[in-house]
Amino acid sequence: MILRSLSCRFLTIALCDAAEPWQLGSQDAATPMMQGIIDLHHDIFFFLILILVFVSRMLVRALWHFNEQTNPIPQRIVHGTTIEIIRTIFPSVILLFIAIPSFALLYSMDGVLVDPAITIKAIGHQWYRTYEYSDYNSSDEQSLTFDSYTIPEDDPELGQSRLLEVDNRVVVPAKTHLRMIVTPADVPHSWAVPSSGVKCDAVPGRSNLTSISVQREGVYYGQCSEIRGTNHAFTPIVVEAVTLKDYADWVSNQLILQTN
Amino acid sequence: MAAEGKVPTLAEEYSLPPKEVPVEKPAEEKSATITEASPADEPAADVEQKSETPEVKEPEAEETVPAAEESDAAPEETEEKPEIVIETAPADFRFPTTNQTRHCFTRYVEYHRCVAAKGDDAPECEKFAKYYRSLCPSEWVCTLFHALLSFHCCSTVFPEMMRLVFSIAYGDLVVSLCFPAYLELG
Repeated sequence: MILRSLSCRFLTIALCDAAEPWQLGSQDAATPMMQGIIDLHHDIFFFLILILVFVSRMLVRALWHFNEQTNPIPQRIVHGTTIEIIRTIFPSVILLFIAIPSFALLYSMDGVLVDPAITIKAIGHQWYRTYEYSDYNSSDEQSLTFDSYTIPEDDPELGQSRLLEVDNRVVVPAKTHLRMIVTPADVPHSWAVPSSGVKCDAVPGRSNLTSISVQREGVYYGQCSEIRGTNHAFTPIVVEAVTLKDYADWVSNQLILQTN
Repeated sequence: MAAEGKVPTLAEEYSLPPKEVPVEKPAEEKSATITEASPADEPAADVEQKSETPEVKEPEAEETVPAAEESDAAPEETEEKPEIVIETAPADFRFPTTNQTRHCFTRYVEYHRCVAAKGDDAPECEKFAKYYRSLCPSEWVCTLFHALLSFHCCSTVFPEMMRLVFSIAYGDLVVSLCFPAYLELG
């Protein structure tokens, strides 16, 4: 199990688009946003390790030198201007170095930068999701809508992940700007796909927007991230990114299915 | 990010005022300005998407014909395919936030204003219908429709009372968006 997760981390045979047992790191990025999040994590980790090493050194040194045997009379310094200036300025500079990339990422994530090509509405229900592709509607009644239920625990086929697979996946085109509108019909829900770097809460009576642009074809798994009742654990999210051509195919097939 | 080249420049994207300013103005003026403003921001998004979709469609229709087992399924598909144009409501700089609730309401009201001003079959209103259908969850469309219908019936008779009742039932947001529109239309 651990071996598998290690191979997933280091020997990139297939990219990680679903949670692995004993996984420590993030899943592999499928959107520029997620890549940004991973990069920011690594940036911050640099400072984190720097601080860790520095603080542990001071701590160990203090414990080593200042004890009763080596230093029976403790020093009584209560004030030192230089050291106080240094230990105020230096952490501020570190915070600044963390804040700049962090804010840059934050604002690039929620900015409405380009016109999306497709709007998909994810509507949370207890306990399934409804997806609406309404760009192709010609009336209020007719709509490309389907429900996405989890595959029950005793039912998965070989190769499917337990409680992570659904009957109807959300099909999206890769390398296309997507607008996800997330809203629930009953209680608060959440729509989260780690590989896409998306976690959008769904609040009753309100529709939330999140933009994604999946960069490679694949199947991405996510789980609901808002505790909301007994079957909370049984509403996974599966996004299947395909080429634009396949997407158009899929839509036309779905439309034919729904009209018949 | 490949699409960025064809997307209008930032200056163009921000130049919404001709479309945005008349929101408070009477219905006829508003919808007139909308139709003028729309071609400016539409084509950029359209051209890029449409240029991709024809390639998507034509070869495919031919491929599916031999593949399809039933002879009547194939013609249906060929009819159906050209309809899939990859386009949706454009990014609107009146609603740059995560919360898009008001975006949906506004597009819905804009559509009904347009229809009221130009008539039911006006082709220029179809665009707004597409926008609100893309943005509003289908359950909301029903609620909004009933709200607007009731406004239309009652607001001319008991304007103040209707305003109060609807602000309680649907919240001030819907009222502030719908009420002026329907008072004007009478």
